[in-house]
Amino acid sequence: MGLIDRFFSNKPNAPSTDTGSAAAARQRLQFVLVHDRAEIPPATLNLIKDDIIAVLSRRIRIDREHVSVQLTYTENESRLVVDIPLLTEALSDAPGRARGSSARPATAPRPSSR
Amino acid sequence: MAGTVITITSGKGGVGKTTTTANIGTALALLGQKVVVFDGDVGLRNLDIVMGLENRVVYDVIDFVEGRCRLRQALVRDKRAAPGELYLLPTAQTRDKSAINPRQMVEVCEELRRDVDYILIDSPAGIEQGFQNALAPADRVFVVTNPEVSSIRDADRVIGLIEARGKGPAQLIINRLSPARVKKQEMLSVQDIVEVLATEVIGIVPEDEAILSSSNRGVPVVLNGKTPAAQAFQDIARRVLGQDVPVVEPQSLSWWQKLLGIS
Ligand SMILES: Nc1ncnc2c1ncn2[C@@H]1O[C@H](COP(=O)(O)OP(=O)(O)O)[C@@H](O)[C@H]1O
Ligand SMILES: [Mg+2]
Repeated sequence: MGLIDRFFSNKPNAPSTDTGSAAAARQRLQFVLVHDRAEIPPATLNLIKDDIIAVLSRRIRIDREHVSVQLTYTENESRLVVDIPLLTEALSDAPGRARGSSARPATAPRPSSR
Repeated sequence: MAGTVITITSGKGGVGKTTTTANIGTALALLGQKVVVFDGDVGLRNLDIVMGLENRVVYDVIDFVEGRCRLRQALVRDKRAAPGELYLLPTAQTRDKSAINPRQMVEVCEELRRDVDYILIDSPAGIEQGFQNALAPADRVFVVTNPEVSSIRDADRVIGLIEARGKGPAQLIINRLSPARVKKQEMLSVQDIVEVLATEVIGIVPEDEAILSSSNRGVPVVLNGKTPAAQAFQDIARRVLGQDVPVVEPQSLSWWQKLLGIS
């Protein structure tokens, strides 16, 4: 459980400590399996991200560049994790990622096929 | 006697299903079991070639299903695997998957089960009709994968299908592992694969040059005993029989082990 959690919670572009191609294989395998099992292709996730940005931007100021929408996977559930940094007056012109507060993750049950 | 049917399948093609079927079947017979290895890949017959029995095939399972022979007549005896008994049940080379259906596969296996301990079905890769045929009579299912992203991805899919059909949990055979490359971080390790597939491993078969010459000659590696892959297949056969043979990830040999010729 702990290992699987850690395995799947890596950010897709997290820096890796080992240099061999096995590291790339692990990363790519994680990515395809998460999407296969949830039956949500990466392209759909990008559309969802655009929708979320559009909806939220009508009401609040968000740091569009750093919105992240990701699938994660543990032994018994798939999870859609949405992270939306807010732009606040004090930080809006600071470079890089503003200090953000996260939206609550939306949970989806694992597909019944696995 | 009520024999056990084990279907050997995979998500992706070319990962070693036929090699695995031939070798586990032969190893079980060498351990004294009565075994039928059954070619479940209609139209792409090759278990007979890998076993070196192609010249002795007279009838095949489609001849039996269509009433041209008795089941006994389609079985080819392989006398090399004493003290047990080993038979090949070939399929047709010139027909397609629709020549046999899942219900007929079950009937064939019911008839074989009465006389043998194990029936190993060499299944086509997942998802097509041929796979449904091979899955229908299965008591146990082994999924073969290579330590490679595309192969593992497809294995994941097929493991899900097996479970959905009520034939799970599948057990995993990791074939063509190269310990030296794992050590150099060039290949996914057994642990990497197990973590993502969350499926019990029943065997790890190393990459072994002897496999190619063995299929060139039509002599399964377990008949010549000592190569790394042969030992891995013999271990799997013992686990099938319920013997307690721990599954350990093969290690690459250090320079002094190579010098001393330890394997
Ligand atoms: N452990 C191994 N080491 C080296 N070569 C192997 C190994 N297992 C299979 N092969 C080779 O891989 C190829 C595909 O094997 P095969 O058993 O025909 O796969 P499948 O039945 O899944 O299509 C063959 O050329 C075979 O000799
Ligand atoms: Mg084959």
